[in-house]
Amino acid sequence: MISATLLGQSVLSGLFSGCLYALLGLGLTLSWRYLRIINLAHFALIFLAAYIAYWMNSAYGFHPLLTCLAMIPAFFALGVAQQLLFIRFKVGEFASVIVTFGLTIIVESLIQWIWSADFVRMETHLARGSLEIGKLLAPWDELFMCAVAISVCVATWACLNFTWLGKALRASLDNPDIAASFGVPNRALALLVSGAAASFAAIGGVFVALLYTLTPSSIYSWFGVVLATVLLGGLGSPLGAIAAGLLIGVGEAMTMAVVAPSWAPIAPFTLLILILVLWPERI
Amino acid sequence: MLRIESLCVSYGDAAALTDVSLDVADGELLAVIGPNGAGKTTLVNAVAGLLPARAGTIRLAGENVTGLPPRALADRGLALIPEGRRLFTTMTVEENLDIGCYRPAARGHRAEGLARVYDMFPILAQRRRQIAGTLSGGQQQMVAIARALMARPRLLLIDEPSLGLAPIIIAQVFEIIAAIHKSGVSILLIEQNATRALAVARRGCVLDCGALVATGTPAELDARGDIRAAYLGGGH
Ligand SMILES: Nc1ncnc2c1ncn2[C@@H]1O[C@H](COP(=O)(O)OP(=O)(O)OP(=O)(O)O)[C@@H](O)[C@H]1O
Ligand SMILES: [Mg+2]
Repeated sequence: MISATLLGQSVLSGLFSGCLYALLGLGLTLSWRYLRIINLAHFALIFLAAYIAYWMNSAYGFHPLLTCLAMIPAFFALGVAQQLLFIRFKVGEFASVIVTFGLTIIVESLIQWIWSADFVRMETHLARGSLEIGKLLAPWDELFMCAVAISVCVATWACLNFTWLGKALRASLDNPDIAASFGVPNRALALLVSGAAASFAAIGGVFVALLYTLTPSSIYSWFGVVLATVLLGGLGSPLGAIAAGLLIGVGEAMTMAVVAPSWAPIAPFTLLILILVLWPERI
Repeated sequence: MLRIESLCVSYGDAAALTDVSLDVADGELLAVIGPNGAGKTTLVNAVAGLLPARAGTIRLAGENVTGLPPRALADRGLALIPEGRRLFTTMTVEENLDIGCYRPAARGHRAEGLARVYDMFPILAQRRRQIAGTLSGGQQQMVAIARALMARPRLLLIDEPSLGLAPIIIAQVFEIIAAIHKSGVSILLIEQNATRALAVARRGCVLDCGALVATGTPAELDARGDIRAAYLGGGH
């Protein structure tokens, strides 16, 4: 039988992972719903950002948050460029899976070529130490990541629901021709979504670098949990992504604590398969 | 206001409109009637910039607008009430109206526009937070009309507003169309229901198989035996 403290600590670390899953899934869920692009290259961008943050820090001493600020517009431009190409070559939903998986492999090789396949770890922290809540420890870095993840998701949700931009985006998804005839710029909106999604990848990547040891092939270890988060949360739903991320994060942590650590990856994949089989209209 | 000259539109190799010419004067309500598949919707969609013209020109207030994208036409004062309403069905009534005044030029008049359309359709004021797709057919048609009015159009294209509605609702819809016309908006009204359409129009055109077969006042059209027998008989 495990102790209450250990259980509490597991739940806490599950909540932290859950926030990260939501942050990493946000761009994916937006482009899936609003662009009908299943953008697996989102994971590649996350890792590219993570490695750049690591490298700027270890080689030049740049603070990761500074690198993050610089990467946001640069990644936005990458996202726009990607969408321009997808429009130009008329990449549809199904083709997008294969094309973006290919892109991911290319970026992985690129990362490996530049930074080698060795494990690397950024030495910097945003703040050292942890917040003590009773007997539980909450590292400041993780708390900060959660605050950013939740803020970004809530801001995106508010933007989708309460702004002209959000209404235009939903109208454009609902009925593009009619939206256009009322002046909605469908194409510009698509580029904006793709750019924003890539910017979210930059933010997520910096936190991956802050919290995890990096190696190029670990890109793929994120597919299962993040895709499960996106599908369970509902495509295009930032708040759904948070709820689903937390659920999956805690579920995973409990599996680790109660069953065995090696069982952890089974939880999200089982969930993913169950969603696809029992709830196909989710896509 | 609107002048169409020798317009040809086709879907792939199949011609849907051949050599159609017509004009809508400033402040006029022109009715275009014709049977199923005559090409009426094709005509509206081509004017709205949703379909490319294969040949011919479309002028709005004297300016050649052939080939301009829908957005540019909206900027020039054109608004569409499409066949089958085509609301943003997952959005609320008021969000639909917001898209109606999405263009910066109309956005500044949002409050005024909402007051006007809610006054015209009080039921929509009550349902403003309801998802548009869950409204009845008649209420959806009201949203489609209100959405177009929010754009403050100078030329309104209305495609089969009576489609699928109960007779009592149809009567209301035509009253509203007459009122909008009276407020100074030029209207191109497409209808299969010839009797209703010609009752609110000064002039009508008959379209069949993609070509205009007659143009004239309702009385002139009615006086032509062939037209009356073929197109005006079934005023449902
Ligand atoms: N998207 C399309 N692709 C191919 N052909 C089409 C398409 N839309 C319409 N057509 C054809 O073009 C012709 C004109 O159609 P259109 O919809 O303009 O007629 P309509 O007068 O509006 O008919 P209705 O009264 O049924 O609305 C028809 O023969 C139709 O089959
Ligand atoms: Mg039609």
